[in-house]
Amino acid sequence: MDHSRRKRRTRWWLLLAAIVVLTGIAFAIMWRPALAPQSAIPAFDQTRIERGANLAQLGMCASCHTADLSRPFAGGKPMETPFGTVHSTNITSDRDTGIGAWSLAAFTRAMREGVSRDGHLLYPAFPYNHYARMTQADIDDLYAFFLTRPAIAAPARDNAMTFPFGFRPLVGFWNVLYLDDAPWQPDPQQSAEWNRGAYLADAVAHCTACHTPRTKLGGPDLKRQLDGGEAEDWYAPALNRNSPSPLPWSRAQLHTYLRTGMADDHAVAGGPMQDVVMHLAQANEADVAALAAWTHSHLAQAPARTTPAQRDGPLPPPAAEDPDLPRMQLGYALYANSCARCHDVGRAPSSGTALPLQKAIALYDPDPRSLIHIVDDGILPPDGEAGRWMPGFKAILDDGQASALAAYLRKYGAGQPAWPELDDQVRKARTP
Amino acid sequence: MSTYRLQVNGKPHAVDTDPDTPLLYVLRNELALNGAKFGCGLGQCGSCTVLLDGQAAMSCMVPVSVVGARQVRTVEGLGDARTPGALQQAFIDEQAAQCGYCIAGMIMQATALLEKTPAPTDAQIRAHMAPNLCRCGTHMRILRAVRRAADALAGGKR
Repeated sequence: MDHSRRKRRTRWWLLLAAIVVLTGIAFAIMWRPALAPQSAIPAFDQTRIERGANLAQLGMCASCHTADLSRPFAGGKPMETPFGTVHSTNITSDRDTGIGAWSLAAFTRAMREGVSRDGHLLYPAFPYNHYARMTQADIDDLYAFFLTRPAIAAPARDNAMTFPFGFRPLVGFWNVLYLDDAPWQPDPQQSAEWNRGAYLADAVAHCTACHTPRTKLGGPDLKRQLDGGEAEDWYAPALNRNSPSPLPWSRAQLHTYLRTGMADDHAVAGGPMQDVVMHLAQANEADVAALAAWTHSHLAQAPARTTPAQRDGPLPPPAAEDPDLPRMQLGYALYANSCARCHDVGRAPSSGTALPLQKAIALYDPDPRSLIHIVDDGILPPDGEAGRWMPGFKAILDDGQASALAAYLRKYGAGQPAWPELDDQVRKARTP
Repeated sequence: MSTYRLQVNGKPHAVDTDPDTPLLYVLRNELALNGAKFGCGLGQCGSCTVLLDGQAAMSCMVPVSVVGARQVRTVEGLGDARTPGALQQAFIDEQAAQCGYCIAGMIMQATALLEKTPAPTDAQIRAHMAPNLCRCGTHMRILRAVRRAADALAGGKR
């Protein structure tokens, strides 16, 4: 009797000790201290500010942190994630609502660990899991750039997270799984330019954030680097041997594409990639060339293949024996009357070149999302910017018509097997 | 040739034409609704903009065969010279037309916005009107006219 009571008591003590230890670990994962505000913004060297400006273009900071062009870096842009809607924050030098009170130590911690100055954990919509591998010199330069941005008062907007992700400390567990802050290592087998590109692509421009698939927890699936991911419900094509591109990319084409959003007779940037190229257009030419060199080395692994993109001329009408003839005929009629006028008459670049559709990479993607978005919303440059222009057809085509057009283009434009569940994908893409 | 039954400005019409005929040609040549204009024929300028079930569509790009039962609305449906609609009145008040060729499309594009977003911000107006071009360069007046119409419609409700 006495013996068993002692045994029971020991068990309780063990349980209590386990709870204490686990709480300690959880606390260590989830809690970070506040760092003291700095009393004044330090003075910065102009060359550092300029280097920081280039890094900010390469990192596309404004893409999320500028919601309104007249208020650069004041934040407030909503970003849809599978875990809720996150709003970007103010990273101007404003002391109360921006990062004017952040010391370099606080800024570095945010960039490397995803922790705000006051100690709360930032959501990984902010790609600190990439910036973690930036050199300290680059972080210093970015700091100089942002702490000299004119102060704009703009308090953070409330996020709308789905339960339980509103509880920020949970991000600590994501960090255990996905935050790798080992310093970036160059590959001695490769050229200096390639290594510069590799560093920029990983640690600054975070190309892999969209072009690598994500796990269910929203982290990068590292076993499938560059194997194609997604951005804002667009398919972000694989940049490795699984590239869907029907024609091989040359390095020069990639360079032009990354700089201008257009590679003649090859590709036009749409969706989120438009924003990327707008930033790269403002970055140092040599850095964009390095990104092209690195990207090309991966894309060059894709095997050569025979595709309809190698021939010219308009797309054919459906074959008389096509088992899906009425739908294909509808798709062909829409192609001939709405698409072909721009895509197949070989207009001069000055009047808005459209790609012959058999060359459009979206037709070769493993899923139809990007094609549906292009057909529905067109390709529009951001407000006030020059760029490619394609009208959207959402108002013109009903769901069945859009689906028939996509099915026709996939089969007779790209010669690829039908996309499964195309009708559902069209409906989903169109659900607000 | 086939017969297409169209609902235009609330009235039914039956039109015998080729399935590939653009809706714009049907409106202008068969129904004598000449508000929508042929500009580029490529969906690049917006002068042919009409509404399909409330959404702005460039009618030069719409084969008549895809319209189906959707409600087509043109500038003629908004009002006439004697009783202009709120947007038409605002365009007159701001003297937003120079040659006038783009204006019917502009007004229909703006109609689509104000019906869905009765109190738009200036940025929303700019973004929404971006597809429609005016070669005379009265864009600033056009934006002011849309603003004025939005304010007038909001005032009318108060």
